[in-house]
Amino acid sequence: MVTVKLKPMVEILELLKPYERVFVIGCQLGSGRCKNGGLREAFKVAGYLELHGFKITGVKSPGGTCILERIDAPEKSLIKEAESSSDAILSLACGAGTQLIAENVSIPVITGVNTLFIGVERERKYFDEYCIACGDCVISETGGICPVARCPKSLINGPCGGAIAGKCEVDPSIPCIWYKIESRLKELGSLKSVEKRAPLKDYRSCVYPRRLVLEE
Amino acid sequence: MKFRETVNSGKFVITVEVAPPRGTDYREVISALEPLKGKVDAFNVTDCQRSMVRMSALSMAKLLLDSGYEPVLQMTCRDRNRIALQSELLGAWALGVENLCLMTGDFTTLGDQPDSKPVFDLDSVQLIELARTLNSGKLLNGKELNGKPSFFIGAVHNPFAGPELLQTLKLKKKIEAGARFIQTQPVYELQVAREVHELISSLGAVPLIGLLPIKSLKMANFMKKLNPTSVPSSLVEGLEKASNPALYGWEYTLDLARGVSEFGSGVHFMLVGRVKELADFIDELRNNKGEGN
Ligand code: SF4
Ligand code: SF4
Repeated sequence: MVTVKLKPMVEILELLKPYERVFVIGCQLGSGRCKNGGLREAFKVAGYLELHGFKITGVKSPGGTCILERIDAPEKSLIKEAESSSDAILSLACGAGTQLIAENVSIPVITGVNTLFIGVERERKYFDEYCIACGDCVISETGGICPVARCPKSLINGPCGGAIAGKCEVDPSIPCIWYKIESRLKELGSLKSVEKRAPLKDYRSCVYPRRLVLEE
Repeated sequence: MKFRETVNSGKFVITVEVAPPRGTDYREVISALEPLKGKVDAFNVTDCQRSMVRMSALSMAKLLLDSGYEPVLQMTCRDRNRIALQSELLGAWALGVENLCLMTGDFTTLGDQPDSKPVFDLDSVQLIELARTLNSGKLLNGKELNGKPSFFIGAVHNPFAGPELLQTLKLKKKIEAGARFIQTQPVYELQVAREVHELISSLGAVPLIGLLPIKSLKMANFMKKLNPTSVPSSLVEGLEKASNPALYGWEYTLDLARGVSEFGSGVHFMLVGRVKELADFIDELRNNKGEGN
């Protein structure tokens, strides 16, 4: 999922200063799941804004704000409703969802979150970055564990010299991912898969903006 | 004798690290090396070590050359993509820099410009491969070079880093990719030096054992933070008892160097304040080995 972090309220208030009537849109997928921009947070923020004198014209959180037909269905369009009733929209969806709203309405769209990463969730509390969408996946060779996203240097030929006692030199509070890769490969008996020198990565696979088109 | 010839000849190699200045004034850095002239085999110029901005290593290497010191140019993957790396290396050769020590490099956030964008387009193994490709007269994309280098390539290894199997595998990849000498992180025990010497030699490269004199208890604790198993408790105790810890740490290092010279291929001094003493020590070592310069 895509994880987000709610911006500080002072920053949101500052961004909304020029406007009076505000419609708050969250997202039940990423933002809601990581409890930083779902329906609950959207209501919380809306309440706060009301306390600060804003008029809240609506609070909604669709199941996928980055899907155009979910926010702009012909029979009942969430964004048209927001557009017709408000001076601005505050979006708590990720950067993608927020842009999709913005390019389909004529009023300003303000973001209330910082979009963080593609990650996994554990114990409904811990969210960890697992993939940076590099477009050229190598994890079949590395025991299903990604060194591109989970090593700060994206090293694909093995650990750096700063990997001490299982910890990463960049941030000792996170493990050096190459320890995990080594024990996993040992377990699988497939250390051979990392013996060859890894070829240089072809960064054309992640030159953005990328597009995926489905065949008819 | 040129550095590469010394390394290949089997003579005991002594290299010293030189950090370029933070600023434009390089004269003091170079004049401080005077006592070591003709004694040290090469001067290893660091590339914004610990991600702290310094004068470019290539410029410093050229300035050393101009003053009659043979440099080893360190280059990291931290700040340059493959376009910059290839172009910088071609320039280095044209300026007369023949020796390289190639590594991944410390991460950006650990230095004094933690807000900069990390590059890491290549890793150390791939950078070694890149230098060897240039040596073969080609760019990475296969295009022929108009004039090719013939770099003498080295790399680094930390005997205290893990996980063990993959560290050894990576060392092997570096040597297979073209590293002829391997400089180690600072070692403080003869037994560790012996083991890492054997490992590197068995994989086919010439080991240069890293030595960094400990000047104080504070520094010992700092080194322990970097590599917890590298500093033995006997060294810490000695520093505690010593009336002059800096001198104690210095003599400890020289003893270690003497020990390494019995079986080793060479040592790499990573920090020197005591240039004159080091010069005398090198004379002693060479005389004992019957290798007077
Ligand atoms: S290798 Fe690339 S695509 Fe595969 S998990 Fe890692 S970052 Fe994602
Ligand atoms: S310690 Fe491990 S995870 Fe951290 S930068 Fe080095 S190799 Fe990558």
